Amino acid sequence: MTKKMDNTTRYERLRERYMNGDLDRRSFLGMIGAAGLAYGVQTPFAKYAHAAAGEVRFDGWGGVVSEAFREHAFDPFTEKTGIPVVDGTFGGGDEYLSRVKASQEGEYNIAHLSGVFDYARYYNLGLASTLNEDNIPNLKFVIPKLVDVFRNVSDGALSCVPYDYGTTGLAYNRKYISDEEMKEKGAKILIDEAYKGKIAGWGDWRTRIWFGSLQTDQDPNGATDMEAVWDAIRAHRDLSLKYWTSGAELMSLLAEEEIYVTEGWSGRIYALQEQGHDIGYMDPPNGYGWQECLFVMKGSPMEACEELLNFMLAPETSIAVAEGQNYPPALDPQQVDLGSKIPTLPAFDPTGTLSGLTFADPAYWNVNEAEWSKTFGRVQKGY
Amino acid sequence: MGWQLIRGWAILVYIFMFLPVAVVVLLSFNASQFGSFPMTGLSFRWFIELANNEAILRAFRTSIILGLLTALISTTLGVLASLALVRYRVPGANAISTLLIAPILVPEVVLAVALLLFLNFLGINKSFTLLLFGHVIFTLPFVILVVQARLISIKRDVEEAAMSLGASPRQTFFQITLPLMMPAVLAGGLFAFTISFDDITGTLFWKPGGVETVPTQIFAMLRNSISPEINALGTVMIVMTVGLPLLGAAIARQISKKSGT
Amino acid sequence: MSVEAREARQPWILLSPALTAVALFLFVPLLFILVYSFWLRTATGADQAGFYLDNWREALTDAFYRDILFSTLRIAAITTLVCALMGYPAAYFIARSKGNKAILLLLLMLPFWISYIIRTMSWINILGVSGALNTFLLWTGIITDPIQMLYNETTVILGLVHFLLPFMVLNVFVSLEGIDTNLEDAANSLGATRWETFLQVTLPLSLPGLAAGGLLCFVLGAGTYITPLVLGGPRDAMFANLVFEAIITQLNWPLGSALSLMLLAVLGVLVMIYNRYLGMAQLMKGLG
Repeated sequence: MTKKMDNTTRYERLRERYMNGDLDRRSFLGMIGAAGLAYGVQTPFAKYAHAAAGEVRFDGWGGVVSEAFREHAFDPFTEKTGIPVVDGTFGGGDEYLSRVKASQEGEYNIAHLSGVFDYARYYNLGLASTLNEDNIPNLKFVIPKLVDVFRNVSDGALSCVPYDYGTTGLAYNRKYISDEEMKEKGAKILIDEAYKGKIAGWGDWRTRIWFGSLQTDQDPNGATDMEAVWDAIRAHRDLSLKYWTSGAELMSLLAEEEIYVTEGWSGRIYALQEQGHDIGYMDPPNGYGWQECLFVMKGSPMEACEELLNFMLAPETSIAVAEGQNYPPALDPQQVDLGSKIPTLPAFDPTGTLSGLTFADPAYWNVNEAEWSKTFGRVQKGY
Repeated sequence: MGWQLIRGWAILVYIFMFLPVAVVVLLSFNASQFGSFPMTGLSFRWFIELANNEAILRAFRTSIILGLLTALISTTLGVLASLALVRYRVPGANAISTLLIAPILVPEVVLAVALLLFLNFLGINKSFTLLLFGHVIFTLPFVILVVQARLISIKRDVEEAAMSLGASPRQTFFQITLPLMMPAVLAGGLFAFTISFDDITGTLFWKPGGVETVPTQIFAMLRNSISPEINALGTVMIVMTVGLPLLGAAIARQISKKSGT
Repeated sequence: MSVEAREARQPWILLSPALTAVALFLFVPLLFILVYSFWLRTATGADQAGFYLDNWREALTDAFYRDILFSTLRIAAITTLVCALMGYPAAYFIARSKGNKAILLLLLMLPFWISYIIRTMSWINILGVSGALNTFLLWTGIITDPIQMLYNETTVILGLVHFLLPFMVLNVFVSLEGIDTNLEDAANSLGATRWETFLQVTLPLSLPGLAAGGLLCFVLGAGTYITPLVLGGPRDAMFANLVFEAIITQLNWPLGSALSLMLLAVLGVLVMIYNRYLGMAQLMKGLG
């Protein structure tokens, strides 16, 4: 230790002897240089940080969905109007809401939200805008039932336009499970001891509670015996190999025969079937239907957003995007010719009434959200 | 005998480390979308899809820029701090070192959440600069650790000799000290770049709109579907990091052989 | 200005950019979430500022959090142990080999160039029912039906070991490199067998490196949440997953802050114990 100090002292003396005496200033300049560098870095990227005037920020699901949007909606829109669309992605609705909550007004503009309950959450958090429907004439093509549920939440006004819909139903490997068996057992096949270790499920608390309600013969929008639902969820947990959290996991679990049965997103299962995998898909009675909307946040450039929504609802755009992401568009098949592929998509309703689908009731789900999401976190981990 | 055992063990460890790399490279040539074995056929389609995937290429450019800037700033700050800690008598040097190393001892989720909530509270918009500084913070400890270790081993005599021969401290630093610690500076920069390039947790929380790095882009792609082009990207990265230096060395050898004869 | 004053200021000028950055982007935010952890989440979504002990009471008294914390520490400890057992001989081999040590070390870093998520997910392609290993075993005839190997605690640890092993090897390697080989020769010439020499000379001298590697593996391992998400079964969650769920899924930022700080405190105690007995200087040598 003493040696080190000696060395240091010696070094200092030497340095002092040869120094011009203004190293302080030089270090200071160095720091200014670093700050300048940081500034220079920021400037070229600053355009990403705020949605500058005449630019729209859009956030949605990644992968095939965002590719379909970019190719069929954003690029043609920018070409036509000159308004650039900056797109971002999120991994899940909850994750995105937490990011929006932790952002400044105007940072996010349009989001591809899932479910009316999500719409209600944003509305209740004061994040909703009010759309001028005169600027969105294509809204007239949309299935009325889809629009009305949103109006009910926000006192007649709209902060979003419906865009597509789908279901979370049962997906099964037909090599091991027959269509008849599925029909007979319905959602209860997910708690069937015979398939222990060959079952999976989505690790999303709403979906788990929904299917728990079905497995205990309760109304998924009004279960009265929650204890029974939690027990069904526990039974499913113990029989499951895996809770999947992404479409990639869902598809590979099924395709690689790691599991035989799980819930699945209709569009993803359709993609598997398209590739020739012998996977069956079934919506059990009272199956989980959902609709997605394009939600405009408070503080967004409204006219540009409305123009983009109108462009995206135009039948040719809607149909192209729907064919890309494998979910039927919100357009009314009675008014618009949807082409040949869309009628083959799962969950598609040719009547345009969607009477066969059960959607999550926002009042029921949002009231219980805090408690249930927390309880599910515990049940999942073995409690 | 004992040495053979150790060698065998080490080879097993290397095989373990390389297994995922081998599988990723193998699957990038897979004809099928799913990674099941035995593979059904070979194909270059994922490389073609990769080349056509505008989003991932954009993310790749962002990651490279972010990684390089992180490495540059992190190394600059790290070298300055290491110089101070090793070459001067600083009161409480040990405590300061601990403070500077703290970012790797804080779980990244905690760091990410804390910074995000704090910025939200201050009402500051997320920006590329903030993302960059987030990366600088958790790569800084690695740079400091590497550079400091090297600096300790550089003898002061050399620096003193230079100065006694009339070099100014600045000249001494740039002509003597810096070249001597260059391997550590480069290693620290490489460390910083690698960690920044591979980071997902912090980036997910801090990235502003429109900015995707390779890991967050992969995360988003996996959300919906399986995208083997990410395996192709892995293969490209491996070829770039292993293949190019090897090629360079081979060319250098060829040239020196020719000039030798 | 006097020479002494300038001398005293010099290192602080050099240190100030790094210290400012760490203070601004780490310590101030940490202080902030400390304050935040005493706030209260309300049904409307806006958090209520104030001084409430509810989150801390929940975090500290609820057995759920304690159990997951213990299981996280257990997984991190097993991971660290496996890393040490696998990494030490490998580091010994590199340090004592006659080959190019730098290249051997760089090769170990190679997997880092493939994104962490892809690396982790590739274990599914290796260990899955139709993965490489099962296909190989079926082909050799050792098994007739594929074995279910994935999605349990063992695969979580496997994924973590793969991620953290290089940190262990680097640290042990450096401390082995620093040992004067004359000491080993001397022990041998005094009649010790190679094994005795290793146990009585080499191993004790390399313990600091082992400890530094262990600390890094433990802390980094205890803070992960993606590996259990990808390679774990339904029940396999670690403490960072709870933090993530509280903040992201439940939007309960005050509780999430309290949980973050709880994890930080436990790991902080470990770091302090380490610091007390070995000092940060060892960690510093570790990555050189």
